[in-house]
Order: sequence, then C-alpha cells, then structure tokens
Amino acid sequence: MRPNFFHHLHPPTIPAEQARWRHTLGAGGTAVFLVLVLLVTGILEMFYYVPNPQEAALSVQRITYHVPYGWLIRNLHYWAAQLLLIFASLHLLRVVFTAAYGPPRRFNYLLGMGLFVLAFLLDFTGYILRWDVEVCWPLVTGTNLLKTIPLIGDFLFRLAVGGENACESALLRFYTWHIFALTLPVVILGVWHAFRVRRDGGIAVPPPALRPNPERISRFELVRREVQAMLIVGAALVVLSVLFPAPIAPAMIGQPVLTEEARAPWFFLWVQQLLKWGDPFVFGVLIPFAILLALILIPYIFPPPAPQDVGRWFPPSNRLAQVVITLIAVFILVLTLVNR
Amino acid sequence: MRRSLAFSALLLFVTLLFAWWKSARAPQPVVLTPVLTGEPEYCLTCHADLPEISPSHPVDVFGCVICHGGERLALDADLAHATLRGGANPSDLSVVEASCGGGNCHSGSEAAGRDHIQRVLTSVQATYAGAIASIRFTFGAQPDLQAYLGIQAVTDDQTLTGISSLAAFDPQAETHPSIQKFGQECLTCHLWAEPRQGEAYARFTGCAACHTPAPLFSSPPIFGENGGSQRGVHRLTTAIPYTQCNTCHNRGNYDLRTMTFVERTDQPTTRIEDYYQPIAQFVLCEWTLDCVDCHTRIEAMGDGDLHPNQASIQYVQCKTCHGTPTELPLTKTLTDPEDLAFKLAFLNPVIDLQLGDTILITEQGEPLWNIRLLPSTDGGEGEGITYEMYGKATRQYFTFRPVMGSGCQQSGENQSSAYCHTCHAVERHVHP
Repeated sequence: MRPNFFHHLHPPTIPAEQARWRHTLGAGGTAVFLVLVLLVTGILEMFYYVPNPQEAALSVQRITYHVPYGWLIRNLHYWAAQLLLIFASLHLLRVVFTAAYGPPRRFNYLLGMGLFVLAFLLDFTGYILRWDVEVCWPLVTGTNLLKTIPLIGDFLFRLAVGGENACESALLRFYTWHIFALTLPVVILGVWHAFRVRRDGGIAVPPPALRPNPERISRFELVRREVQAMLIVGAALVVLSVLFPAPIAPAMIGQPVLTEEARAPWFFLWVQQLLKWGDPFVFGVLIPFAILLALILIPYIFPPPAPQDVGRWFPPSNRLAQVVITLIAVFILVLTLVNR
Repeated sequence: MRRSLAFSALLLFVTLLFAWWKSARAPQPVVLTPVLTGEPEYCLTCHADLPEISPSHPVDVFGCVICHGGERLALDADLAHATLRGGANPSDLSVVEASCGGGNCHSGSEAAGRDHIQRVLTSVQATYAGAIASIRFTFGAQPDLQAYLGIQAVTDDQTLTGISSLAAFDPQAETHPSIQKFGQECLTCHLWAEPRQGEAYARFTGCAACHTPAPLFSSPPIFGENGGSQRGVHRLTTAIPYTQCNTCHNRGNYDLRTMTFVERTDQPTTRIEDYYQPIAQFVLCEWTLDCVDCHTRIEAMGDGDLHPNQASIQYVQCKTCHGTPTELPLTKTLTDPEDLAFKLAFLNPVIDLQLGDTILITEQGEPLWNIRLLPSTDGGEGEGITYEMYGKATRQYFTFRPVMGSGCQQSGENQSSAYCHTCHAVERHVHP
C-alpha cells in the first residue's frame, strides 16, 4: 500500500512498545485529536458567535437553541476543551512517571509545558466568552489577580482586559486572545512539539540494546490505531455532548450582582480555594506560579533518569520527580474537591 | 484490526444517530417578534396554549418578555425562566416598575392617567399605614393616629394630605411585644405580602392581587403539560369579582388581645352569608353587586397621595349613585371619544358606551362608566329618571331610580351606609 499524506506524517516504523496504549495512555495523541475537534467546532461557532457585550450571550443561546445542531457543536467544543485539560494532565503525569523528560527531550518538555499552560488559558478565555452571569466573578477575580503583581500588574491587567471594568470591557480582548493570540501559539507549539517527538527519537523507550522487545510496527498500523482511538474518543465526545450539555446561564447585562455562590470554573477551583487562605498575590499568584515553575523545572533540577529506565513506568532512578509531581497533583486535586 | 476499526466506526455512527434522535425530539421553536420590542422571543414554543392575558395587552404587540423578563431565546425551561421577574407574577411590587412601568405604560404621568404604579405604591393597600398606625398608637408606640410608617419606605413629593413620606415599619425595632406580634401575624393582607395559606386566601401579590382573579387552587398548572406547578390563570382584568376582594377583606378578623388573625370557620352558602364583617345589615347593593361596581379606582388603587388610613381615601356613598332627596347624582355627558370612560369600557366591555351617553360620575369626577342615564319619560323632580347599570364582573343588568322624587326623607348630610340601612337593610344572622 502506498503511504498517503497522513501516513507520511509518521515514521515508517516505530518500536511496538511505543505504540502500546498502556505505555502512552494515548494521552498525547488524544490531546492532538481534541485540539483538532476544538479547531473545527470553534470555527463553526465563530460563524454565529458575536463578540459584543450586548450580543455575546444571546449569540451563545442562538447557537445552543436555534442553529441546526449548534447545540451539538457547542457541547463538543465544551467537552473537547474539558477533556483536553484532563488528557494534557495525564500526558504530563505519564511523561514524568515514565521518565520520558530527560535529555534529549528536555526542550520538548518545555514546549509541552507551554502547550499545557496555553490549554488552561484557552479554557479560561473560552469560558469567559459565554459572557453570562456566571462568568463575571471568575473574570473579575482572575483579572484582579493580575493587578496584585508588583510593578507589571496594572500593565498585565490592561493587556488582558482593555479597560477599567472587566465585566464591561474584557470581552473583545478575551475573544482575540481565545481565537487568535492563544490558538495560534498552540498550533505553532503543537506542530513543533510533534516534530520534536520525532527529532528526539520518538516516544521515549530505552536504547535498542536495553529493549526487551525489538518488535516494530509500520506507519500503516500506527495510523490505524490512531484512527481507532479517534473514533472511540469521538464517540465518547458525542455521548457526553448529548447527555451533559455545556453550562449556560442568563445573559450578563451590565454589571451583575456578585454572589457568595460565585464559583471559578472547575479547573481553577483549587486556586479559588487557595484564595480563601489569605493574601491574593501570595495565594492566587505566587503559589500557583511556584507550582508551575516546579513542574517546568523537573527535567532540570532532578538528575536525568537512567537510560534503562526511560519509558518504564515508575522507575527507581527518578523517584524524587515522581514524588514531587504526585504531591502537586494530590494537592491540586484535594483543593479542587474541598472547594466543590 | 480491521474488524475493531469497523466496530469503532459503528460506535461513532450510533452515537451520532443518538444525537440526531435527540435533535429530532426537540420541539419545533415557535418564534414571536412583538411590535414593541422587535426582538424575537421563543416563549410560545412551550406556552402556545396560554390565553392572551388581556385585550389591552395583545401578545403580538407586547410578547411575553417585556412584562415577564426571562431569557427570550432559550428553549430550555431552566434557563428561559432563570431571569423571570417576580417568578410567575411580574406585577409583584418589588419588580413592578421593570415589568409594568414606563412612561407609555403604567408609570407615566398623572395627566395621561398612566400613574398606576405610583398610585398603588402610595395607596393604603400597599402601605397598610392605617393598620400600622392604629396598632402602634394602641400600644403606645406613637402619640397619635397619624401615619408615620408603611410596609416599605415611600415618599410623596406633592402631598395633598400632609403626609410626605412614610418610613418602613420594622417590627423587630418595636419594643412592645404586641406590636412585634402584629408584625409577625398580621401583615398578610397588603399588596407586598404573600397571602396566608389556604384556598380562601389564595391570590397573587402586587397588581395581580386584584387584577388576576382566579380560583387558584382549582386552576390547572399555568404551564400545562410543559411542566411547572404554579397554579393560576394567565389573565389581567378590571372585571374583578367580590370573591377576589374577599381573599383579603372577608376571611376572618384580627383579635387584638392575642394579636392573631382568626380565620372564619363557617361555610357560607348564600351571598349574604358570605359577609363576615361584624355588621348584620346590608342593603341590596351590598350583597348583590360586586365591590368594584361601587368602589372606584381611586379608592382601591389610591390617588397618588399618602393617606393615613382607609377611611381617608374611601369616599363613595349611597348618594354617589342615588343622590339625595334634594339632589340628583352627578352626571356627565360623553362628548370626547378619548374620555376615560371609553377606555375603561374598552377594558371591560360590559356596556356599549356611545358619544352622547350620560353616565354617572363621583364627587371627584371619576366616571361610573357602567351606569348610564336612560332616556327620561317625565322630566319632573326625579320622577321618570332611571339609570341602567351593568355589573362589571357579572354583566348583570340593573335599573334604579334616584332618591329624589321618592318618599325618602333622609338628610343629604347623613349618607353613610348606616343611615340607609335603617330603612333599606336586609337583616341576617350575626356571626358570633
């Protein structure tokens, strides 16, 4: 069979070990598929979405209730975005737990962390684009956190919001961030990340001499597996979209009353919980940033994993990195659950 | 591998079929673009079976959202109803300005007769000022019977009664236990208040307390088969039957010793037995007509001034329609097609008023538009003068004659009902 365009995006053969689901969890590939779903459904939503404070929430209602299958497209976009955060997190955990971040993959790890941060920012900006009464509190809180940063806080706030009052003027900024200024970097970094996976020798496995199984699979088999994974994830997305509609709330007209029940989106519930503990700069900016920094520096501050440990689950040579990321994950998970 | 690929494709296909099935089951949206807003709304998708609320609020002109609020584009009940004003009752006084107000609607100028909301908010039905003042005076919390407090703080910039404002009554701020208890037990019959529990008290709040008369308990849920449990009818009317007034005015009495409301326990079977107030004499009008046949808009809804009590605003007497031995009732011949009488007759078309008709009016000039002078057969001293009247709520037809020319010798100065009862009352058993 002659390889087509899609086959050519893959190496002719790869070690069979690398393509096993239990080795990768399929997390990186699923994340790529989810990004593709987000791009397609996002473009479709743009045909109807109106980035204007008076019209935005109404246009979301139009998409949800009146555009043929608009509800499905919006729900797919929503669920793909939520799953992207979950699969990106799983991907990060897998990379650390299988010691896959060591040289020569340290730079690609940085690219991945960049994508990880961008995914969260995209999710947050997309959440704000609903422009309904539920988004005002997270918007005000999130953007006010920027103000607490010494020296550059006000500048960052203006950059993000474009005015004095977030709930009145941030929509166009967030729209541009979401549609262009964050999405374009995701596409560039994403392609770069995928390129570096191949450049760095594919998905991490021990050197050939240390591999227990020398078997390889062809690009045809690899593409088939990817297609199958896409079909299954696609089916799961559709089921989620049909059974659990994306949240929607009354349109935000003017400055809504902020209530005590105001909640951050689920992926920032842990930050909201932190904010209850004290100074917003310390708990809302410094600690989350320190956690991010710790994650970013994992390949640089911990000794490189032993060659025979690369691509093995929970190897002994990077135990410290495993403990650190586990503590971070548990910390975030517990704060999220406490604040539910 | 190919088989599992085919199975996965089939799985996705089935889920897409599931999505198609869900989409096909959704109700076909019904759009309405009201003239007044020009913005499409989809409430009729679920509420197509609701009758138009009144002839003066045609749905194709008003739509639903301009009064009720709500998310006009939503087809999901939770979201669509999330921003309803006043729940099922947009006329609740806390939201009435947003729902029913506006210069061209019910909070316009007095001259244009569109100051309904201002009048109601300052009326004793909303302030409950007389009852509050009476109780506070009785228990020594204020030196006289003047009105100082109302249910809500309210002002009247152009007072003609000398009362320019009322502060909000706060039972918790009172020191006398009886006044505190009055606040807890006895504030159920003003327009801000939710009614007492029970079918006999069932009414809405705000404008709908009077203008949406309905046997609420026996009515079907207002949202019909589409969900919801709020009972009632989708109706605004000026044809208000006495039963609606009874939900507040005739369901029992206050016991000042225990400061509780004592509900009536009898089951009246006749109209005259339906009265519960501690009087035993009624003239035919009082137990045959509806309250709104005699009591006017100003009496019920206020005149825009803050009044100290009910007696201060109530002014219609027997002589308003019947005159006195020396005077005929006041009349007005309709010469202006824009006369208020025509508007009121349009809202409640029980009578076919024509230009040139002569109707009765009150001392304050309010048209008694459902009472018309019949052509005279004899012009002397009231003889041969007959008036016709259509019941506003029942459409019953009556004719009556003025006192002048009859054998009545009652002084024109003494015209309260007690005087007329002396000769014209029907006696009934007095409730214990």
